[in-house]
Amino acid sequence: MYRLRFHGRGGQGARVASKVLGTAAFLDGYYAQDFPLYGAERRGAPVAASTRIAEDPIMERGVIPEPDIVIVMDETLLQDPLTMPLSGLKPGGIVIINTTNSPAEAKAEYKINANVLTLGITKIGLDMLGMPILSTLAGGVAARIVGLSEDSLTEAVKKVLSSIITDKKLLDKNVAAALYCFNAITPIETKIELKTIDTNKKKSTVISLPFEPAAVSSPAINATGNTPLRMTGNWRVFRPAWNYEACTRCMICVARCPDGCILINEDGYPYTDYDNCKGCLICVEECPTNTLGKVMEVHAKKVIGN
Amino acid sequence: MAGNGAIKRDGGKGVKDMVMERIKSIKDIPPEENMLPGTPTCAGCGGLLALRHCMKALGRKIVIVNAAGCFTLLTIYPYTPFKNSWLYTAMACAPAGAQGIRDALDILIKKGRLDPDENLKVVVLTGDGSAYDMSLSSTSGAINRNLDFYYICYDNEAYGNTGVQWSGATPFASKTGTTPPGMLSPIGAELAKKDLFAIWNSHKPPYLATISPAHPVDLINKFKKAEQYKGPKLFIALSPCPPGWGIDPSYTVKLAKLAVDTGVWALKEAVFGNLKHTVVPKRFKPVEEYLKVQGRFAHLFKPVRQEGALNKIQEGVDEYWNRHKLLL
Amino acid sequence: MLTGNAAAAWGVRLAEVDYIPVYPITPQTEIIETLAGWISNGVMDSRFVTMDSEHSMLTAAGSASATGARAFTATSSQGLLYGFEMLYAVAGWRVPLVMVNVSRGLSSPITLEPDHNDVLAARDTGFLQIHCETCQEVLDSILMAYRLAEDERVLLPIFVNLDGFYLSFTREPVAVPDVEQVRNFLPLYQPKHAFFKASQPMAQSAAVLGGSSYSYFKYQMHMASQNALAVYKEVCDEFETGFGRNYDTVEGYMLDDADYVLVMTNSFSTLGKAAVKAARERGIKAGLLRLRLLRPFPVADLKAAIGGKKAVAVIDQNISIGKGGILHSEIASCLYNEKHRPLLLSFIAGLGGKNISPDEFEFIITKMIEGEDTEDAGTAQLIYTDKEWQEMGRLKGMAGKG
Ligand SMILES: Cc1ncc(C[n+]2csc(CCOP(=O)(O)OP(=O)(O)O)c2C)c(N)n1
Ligand code: SF4
Repeated sequence: MYRLRFHGRGGQGARVASKVLGTAAFLDGYYAQDFPLYGAERRGAPVAASTRIAEDPIMERGVIPEPDIVIVMDETLLQDPLTMPLSGLKPGGIVIINTTNSPAEAKAEYKINANVLTLGITKIGLDMLGMPILSTLAGGVAARIVGLSEDSLTEAVKKVLSSIITDKKLLDKNVAAALYCFNAITPIETKIELKTIDTNKKKSTVISLPFEPAAVSSPAINATGNTPLRMTGNWRVFRPAWNYEACTRCMICVARCPDGCILINEDGYPYTDYDNCKGCLICVEECPTNTLGKVMEVHAKKVIGN
Repeated sequence: MAGNGAIKRDGGKGVKDMVMERIKSIKDIPPEENMLPGTPTCAGCGGLLALRHCMKALGRKIVIVNAAGCFTLLTIYPYTPFKNSWLYTAMACAPAGAQGIRDALDILIKKGRLDPDENLKVVVLTGDGSAYDMSLSSTSGAINRNLDFYYICYDNEAYGNTGVQWSGATPFASKTGTTPPGMLSPIGAELAKKDLFAIWNSHKPPYLATISPAHPVDLINKFKKAEQYKGPKLFIALSPCPPGWGIDPSYTVKLAKLAVDTGVWALKEAVFGNLKHTVVPKRFKPVEEYLKVQGRFAHLFKPVRQEGALNKIQEGVDEYWNRHKLLL
Repeated sequence: MLTGNAAAAWGVRLAEVDYIPVYPITPQTEIIETLAGWISNGVMDSRFVTMDSEHSMLTAAGSASATGARAFTATSSQGLLYGFEMLYAVAGWRVPLVMVNVSRGLSSPITLEPDHNDVLAARDTGFLQIHCETCQEVLDSILMAYRLAEDERVLLPIFVNLDGFYLSFTREPVAVPDVEQVRNFLPLYQPKHAFFKASQPMAQSAAVLGGSSYSYFKYQMHMASQNALAVYKEVCDEFETGFGRNYDTVEGYMLDDADYVLVMTNSFSTLGKAAVKAARERGIKAGLLRLRLLRPFPVADLKAAIGGKKAVAVIDQNISIGKGGILHSEIASCLYNEKHRPLLLSFIAGLGGKNISPDEFEFIITKMIEGEDTEDAGTAQLIYTDKEWQEMGRLKGMAGKG
């Protein structure tokens, strides 16, 4: 069995990518299963989705804890301590990263100890679709890696997208982009096999749950104001960037931020709490001067540092 | 940076409630953050922005009673963004939960088992689906009993938490998961939005107001004004919802302003039933400006322009302001 | 002389309950009207409020309890089901609400008379359940219920159940304890785990994500309920010391040397006891076991009481449509792994308050004896007589169904 896990940011299309792959595998005659992971998060948060492909009926469900292949649709997720897209990756497994870097560079930069493939699908998406929605592209890449056919991929993209979009032209562009990616990436030889193997390597021990009094065991929270620990800063695709020359300290950005992520420094200037800012960019939209602009996270990391 | 921020968020003040005077501009908004970031609401959630300002106005000596909806996920074990108390009840009954808490606090104080300093304001927080539909009975009961509580309804005009379906607050011609425009019904939602303000106002509660996340000064002053009344103090916040309304998250505030500027959302208050409009645009913008930027109304413009529906919406808005003799 | 409803009201008054949100339903209304009268006259210092529905009523009662007040409420049948969502919710809050259910059959068809499908529908909610046979027991059980529910090892809400009409409206002698004595038995409720106050904010009833958290919280409720078995014994002993009346988790009647045992609950048990007495007079070694505590289910006490008996007939005054008697299933599961398990027969009787006559009890006892001879428990059977069948025929005729 192949177990693939897609990691992306909300809106990038990880769920649809897993569907495209699942559908293509099914069309190629395999048993397939795809599954999006729902969290508490509404739109914007990192998203994971799983696809299983096998020659035999699949006796598993739910999230894939130990994938053979991980598709990282947003490079910055690799450094995100909460998402940890590579967690559980099997030895000999493959990581496919959406980056313009070479596999060797990515391996070095993110200290990855696995087979790495890279393809800059954001740029392909922007060029071919005119938008950074990567579902069909990531699906195309994954389909190639697991050895599915071009025909099934084409059919799968059409099937999955026709229930989401009505624009025929856009659908055709997606097919073209998926096929482009399918052909742009070269599979590598590795030891993962397409037959069912037991995933439960680390044995866990079943315990008898001890009783705890209600003061401990009721679903009440005695801590206060601790959501900043969740670090929703990892949701951002773009970040608000500051250039204080024009700032009049009008406080409009502070009043407009839904999450209260704009704080005031000693001199009365606003600044962003990047640990928590979700990147909605209302502040950029609302700033009456040119103090706020937006920068894509991938570049922000490189240009500004964090 | 987070540590630095944590101090600033407090504005250097402790739990003590500030006495709040009417404010004049955005600069006067109290700096304390009573709801911290890191919640799972969508980026650009208009309801959260409204709530953030309500929390500033209410202070920390409150208990929020919540009904099922997006904001139920504000407290997810083991996290809470609040410095105050919270109780999640169920979709139909947050006002009944408020009744139980208010009554219990009162009797415990009366019997000397709770220090009056420990008293709390009781604040119901629900979405429109709860407020307009399922909890009408429990809300009407609470208002009728003159329960001393606040009700904040963040009205995103749909059942948001379940993925955006029609609610009693969904406006005419809006697309939702259960009112999909199709060959046979190209308009989407065919019913008019319920007038919850009027329904609530028929009880003549001490204080009732509509608010907007884009008008925080108006919002905070309304809370300030409401504070003097014992009994129900009710607020409906029209809250743009990026995924539900089909807008970019950065556009939430612009759209909330447009709702007011086009006359779609009337900012008003009623004291014991006496109505007053608090923000009246000098010149109303055409409603179309508000509609055409939202994905949920896109079918009114493409593939064919639904002239009839568009006219009907504009006429509805005009009729409202004419009726109140404010359309100049 | 007090009705079951008045006895319930007295229990609430003696427990010095702080808060009582209500909603009327026959046959529970006498309880809330009595309390309303006392509060209005100032003999009881509680806050009383009539809500807009049982759903709201349960929410208000539960949230008052979550605030730290001692709360009480009461309902029956349709009302219980209307508030059903909140039973699970309130139990999950881990608050010691005491709630009386006056049993009544469930619609459709709508009826006023009792059976136990209402309260047994709530058996998986987390509420503990005490079921009463007499008016005295109703009063006493309410006091015991607060002690049990408020114990830190438990902290779960609890039902005290009594049958509509047969107990709720039936007057019989009831000893009303002295309030000082009750105070000794039942101290003030001062929760450490659930309250609302400005100096210690608490987010109660938070959402959880993921099965591990959910399993943890749910199973802790189960363990707290299991703890209640031992705590119940303590409460029971103390109650006996203070008030001289003993209520174990199960009650045996002529049970010790009995070969043939009826298992029943609630007020109809009195009829069963009479039948047992009559059978003894005919030389049959009959006995009766009345289950009083149904949640937590007193498995050990039940096994001790009926293990080794020749035959046991469970008389279910309820019906799980498509399966049969609810208690029969529960008892069977307790006995399955026992070496000396009795033959277990299942009867459905008393649905919608249908009387169980001596003839019908005799039939059941005979079935036990026959079954013991043939080693065949037979299938579950509705206890219904030829006379009733004829009468039903007449009614059908009048309804134009003839
Ligand atoms: C009794 C009941 N029915 C249905 C639901 C499912 N449900 C959960 S949240 C929700 C939508 C609530 O909508 P709204 O009040 O508008 O709040 P929003 O989700 O938009 O924040 C629904 C229908 C529920 N929790 N309880
Ligand atoms: S769905 Fe809408 S209301 Fe709900 S959290 Fe997202 S933006 Fe806010």
